[in-house]
Amino acid sequence: MWRRWLRALGARLARNLTTRLIILLMLVLMLITGFFDYTRLVRVRERLVAQTQKDQRIFTETLALAVRQNIRRGRTTDELRELLEDILARPGLVAVVIYDPDAQMIAARLLIGFPDPEPDEAVRQAMSRREAASSMLDTPTGRLLRYVQPIRWPGGQTAAIEVRQTLGEMEREFHRAVRENILSRLTVLGLFVLSLVVLTRWSIGRPIRALMAGARAIGKGDLAQRIAIRRRDEIADLAEEFNRMAENLQTAHTELIHQSEERLGLEQKVQQAQKLAAVGMLAAEVAHEMGTPLNVISGRSEVLLGTIPADHAGRRHLEVILRQVERINGIIRSLLDYTRPRRPSLRPESAGAVLRRVADLLADRSRRRGVRIAVELPHDLPPVMADPDQLYQLFANLMLNALDASPEGGTIRVEAGPDPRLPVESRAGIVRGEVEGPNLAIHILDQGGGLTHEQLTHVFEPFFSTKARGQGTGLGLPIVEEIVRAHHGEVEMLSIRGGGTEVIVRLPLAVPNPAANESPVVATR
Amino acid sequence: MAKPPRVLVVDDDAEMRALLLDVLEKDGYEVAEAIDGAQAVLALRAREFDLILIDKNMPGPSGLDLLPGLRRVCPRSQFIMMTAYGDVPSYIEAVEKGAAEFLFKPFRMEELKAAIVKALGTNPAPSA
Repeated sequence: MWRRWLRALGARLARNLTTRLIILLMLVLMLITGFFDYTRLVRVRERLVAQTQKDQRIFTETLALAVRQNIRRGRTTDELRELLEDILARPGLVAVVIYDPDAQMIAARLLIGFPDPEPDEAVRQAMSRREAASSMLDTPTGRLLRYVQPIRWPGGQTAAIEVRQTLGEMEREFHRAVRENILSRLTVLGLFVLSLVVLTRWSIGRPIRALMAGARAIGKGDLAQRIAIRRRDEIADLAEEFNRMAENLQTAHTELIHQSEERLGLEQKVQQAQKLAAVGMLAAEVAHEMGTPLNVISGRSEVLLGTIPADHAGRRHLEVILRQVERINGIIRSLLDYTRPRRPSLRPESAGAVLRRVADLLADRSRRRGVRIAVELPHDLPPVMADPDQLYQLFANLMLNALDASPEGGTIRVEAGPDPRLPVESRAGIVRGEVEGPNLAIHILDQGGGLTHEQLTHVFEPFFSTKARGQGTGLGLPIVEEIVRAHHGEVEMLSIRGGGTEVIVRLPLAVPNPAANESPVVATR
Repeated sequence: MAKPPRVLVVDDDAEMRALLLDVLEKDGYEVAEAIDGAQAVLALRAREFDLILIDKNMPGPSGLDLLPGLRRVCPRSQFIMMTAYGDVPSYIEAVEKGAAEFLFKPFRMEELKAAIVKALGTNPAPSA
């Protein structure tokens, strides 16, 4: 596990050239300082050895002096041994030997565990040359420092004394110092590498991971992705560049979407216009061709109705025929109204007056259905720019829709004011047209079953109807949209399934001062 | 009792003509019919009419094309043009060419009677 970790660490470090160089430099630096430390230690050891040798020499000379005096006084070998016994307490001393002129050991004091001294070449040379000799002896238990000192023996002969001393403590100290040196260097190196890794991870790894995550998100299409890096270095520059790229991409993307939407909108408009033209031609044709036969049917029915008595059961049938002719006529009229190019002659007009007229017109019909129409408009409503005939048609269509949607006992409210009346929660909405500048908002609310969002998206399409088959032409709201657009206004339709529908018509206010039209307009919705 | 006003109905559709003749006759008008412009001219040359009810859409020359010529033949007659709903350009042209009234098909018989009364500037003919 350790090996794998180390290999992973090595791989991580080796990936970065700078890191590799830094580690190599650190290693060389440590080797050099380590070498200097080592040579310093060796020098210290040499000095210590020299000092010990000097101590040993002084000690041996003193001892030799004592031994000679003892011999001169005729002390026996046993007495010399006693002398040596006291001496051996000196630390580091492992052997003291006295040789007679024949190089025979006459007294010795030895510590067990060290090789026994013997009269070797060094002893003999010291005796023959009458010169003290210091030397080093390598033994399995460590190095020994030996010193051989010749002693003048009675009768002109020369004997010798040898002192052996261990360097063990010093050697151990030296090796410990070397070990500690190496260990401390390794620890420093390890800590250095570790901190380098951590630093790399935090200062480079993290932002790079953030950059990678950002790039991945953008690759997946999330162009709103930005990277927050609060620092001042190359990585921050990179992140900033990245953010700028994302920004540009997003702008380009939005632009593209906008353009394609615009193109789509234009295409739809063209298609709509073509459709309208085709429907218009068809409607005109139908109106021409069907006008006469319809006229014959209704005319004959009227004639017949005039001839039969008032209480005759057949009257009902004729009245049905007349109503149905009227209905066909209505369909053809709305088709023609819808397809006929509409250029309203706009002038200041009171929307309230038109609304009250429409409500009056529908009073009979709504009473029959048990629906109340409550027009709650202030009398000082500002005038709007409108074509009164088209305004009448607009509100008639909307109030007819509201009436058709209303349940028995329901109320249709007609109000004015900027904000929608339906609560924001759970309401679906759709807007057609766009109003700019000060405007008047008229609300028409019913208590019907409401529309789904899906239905709302289609209500302004020609021939789409939520009414029972045969009840609606599917042209009421398209006409409304046409009129509203021609008035530079907008129509908003809000609905809650099971909670009624609200239609808001916003029309530009008639501005008495024409210059006010050119000043920056403020939408008041 | 005053002489009942004379009305000429010009329409290519037989049923429409029959309906108009029935209704107007019943209301006491003296009526005649023509199937197209040529017959209308013949009828107008034969005698004078107070009112000419003419359809715009006919095979051959349209009611609008015929209007100036018929007016020249019978300058004292009033003209009522009939056409399909929404044909506003025809309405304008007809008014410019001197039509007194204009009816969009299908129209109610009350509308027709009201238009005739207005065009003739008189009370309706007493019912027969």
